[in-house]
Amino acid sequence: MKKLAKIPLIALLAVLGFFVVTFTIYFFNLDMKATSLLAPYLQKWYDKMEHDHYL
Amino acid sequence: MKTVEKVVNPVKRAGEQSPGKIYDEKLKVRRRREWRGVKDTFYDYTRWLYLMSVLGRFIIVPRNIKGFFRYRWMMSYLFVPHGMDKFTVGLRDEALRIAHTSFNFVIADVTQAIANCFRGDRRVGNDKAYSDKCVITDENSMVTFMMGFDTDKVHTILREVPTMFASNIFHQFNVMHYLDVAQLNGIAGDVCPMPEAEAGISIDDDFCVLGSCAVQNNTTCDGSLMGNGIIAKRLERQYGIPTFQLATPLRHKEPDVLEYAAEEIKQAIAFVEKHTGEKWNWDTYFAAAKRVNFATKCRIAQMEINSTPYPQFFGAAFSLYNDTNYMGNSGRMPAFVDIDKKLLALAEQGYKAKRMYAKEYRHRCIVWGVQPQYVIDMLYWLVQCWGVVPLTDMLSVINTDMIADEDTPENREQAYRDMAMLNMEMIMRNHTHGGYKVLLDELWELCEKMNADIVMMWEHMSCKALTGMHGMFEEQARERGIHIMWVSHDLCDPRVFTRQAIRDQVNSYMRTVMREEPLDPSLENIPDSEAY
Repeated sequence: MKKLAKIPLIALLAVLGFFVVTFTIYFFNLDMKATSLLAPYLQKWYDKMEHDHYL
Repeated sequence: MKTVEKVVNPVKRAGEQSPGKIYDEKLKVRRRREWRGVKDTFYDYTRWLYLMSVLGRFIIVPRNIKGFFRYRWMMSYLFVPHGMDKFTVGLRDEALRIAHTSFNFVIADVTQAIANCFRGDRRVGNDKAYSDKCVITDENSMVTFMMGFDTDKVHTILREVPTMFASNIFHQFNVMHYLDVAQLNGIAGDVCPMPEAEAGISIDDDFCVLGSCAVQNNTTCDGSLMGNGIIAKRLERQYGIPTFQLATPLRHKEPDVLEYAAEEIKQAIAFVEKHTGEKWNWDTYFAAAKRVNFATKCRIAQMEINSTPYPQFFGAAFSLYNDTNYMGNSGRMPAFVDIDKKLLALAEQGYKAKRMYAKEYRHRCIVWGVQPQYVIDMLYWLVQCWGVVPLTDMLSVINTDMIADEDTPENREQAYRDMAMLNMEMIMRNHTHGGYKVLLDELWELCEKMNADIVMMWEHMSCKALTGMHGMFEEQARERGIHIMWVSHDLCDPRVFTRQAIRDQVNSYMRTVMREEPLDPSLENIPDSEAY
């Protein structure tokens, strides 16, 4: 019974934790900052690919 | 010179007052997101979560991961939230909700278009049965000739939209590679960068390869024709995909061209039927025609609100939504109807509450010419930095006539003429072709109707369709006492004009000709020219 009573509390903490983490990422634009660090490596990946040029 | 009454916003904007502070020249993205007050920041955050869920659901499909690493243009889609933020800077209340409702829907639609491309792509998903029911259509073509095919049986693939057009919205440098490829292969550098980039993508073999056939349109300029030729050659000769050339008359205001244009539509439909093995369904067509009419009614209502002192739905989101709904959809998908209703309800609510995008409206402006406003947040910037309201843009001024939407024997013949009319007068083509009346006279009529005192003329350096009329614009604007502000750009090639170089032309005009100071000085110089 005690365990059951804890479920709403755990759910609330999970929602709160999700909100704090995602809102921090959102507000400080951490998603786009991380992506912009990744972009140069992806650029190199695409540059290395062989392409069949046809005009 | 003509003047308009200044409108002052009695309500102070919630949250921060100077969004210029969120830019940082050391970063390729914004320093942080904007604080819009509790209510609007939370709303913006929930829309960001929604976008993340759209992107997440897309990338968990294995073939989409494969496609991501195969195609260079896919890198742009990492920056979707960055692109979305570009169109919401400084927005609050209904304006923020309108931008999200319209643009989020466009993003979801483009994501689905990419997923469809990858499913049929011979290199990625290679679902042959699906691919055999796909028709590749031109990005610059209004897909009216697909309105009578059931969407679950024949799939319309606007392959160039996710590859070039939309990818450029999220990452301003991403098509430069394709421009270089085209020019390395001998294409002249003074062609419009949009079709040139599309030609470069084809030369570089970076288009998805799928479909039983393709339909191209002679739209909208010499560059477009050049690009289509290169793309069609590869499609037909290397990949064995037959390509139909839908030759649409340019003088669309002349009544005697309509029968010929209708015949072309019939031929295009017959071509699709032959290659997909599916039949045209009149029930499907007239249901789509009803939705086209509904979209037209909603757009007219939005323009009427924009003619009042409290315009609500304008800027890049308005233009892009119209592009997607009118040209890419053409009534085929019922989901657009609900979005149209929601957008109109938000605009009406905003109008009743007298909501404004800035603290002051000093001028009312019509944006004309070939526009680059998808790669730059220019129109929202214009209203917030200088109090110049961009009431509408050239690409959003399209058909206002209703088409036949009841299934009768007479209307079945009329339907071909309606499809032909919509195709001839589609976005871009309706003003860049058809003579000076559609480019000049309609502009002055619009200035009168919407009570505009400024025309911001986009001068696209590589566009031959409009540059020849520079002198006539100047002369006629002077006769009418309308300010004409020329702003040069080179569409999707930021090496010719950076974002700040584009804005500086407005800054100079407003300071030297209009003798005004900016409403928000933090926006006058933004270090975002190197940003994605």
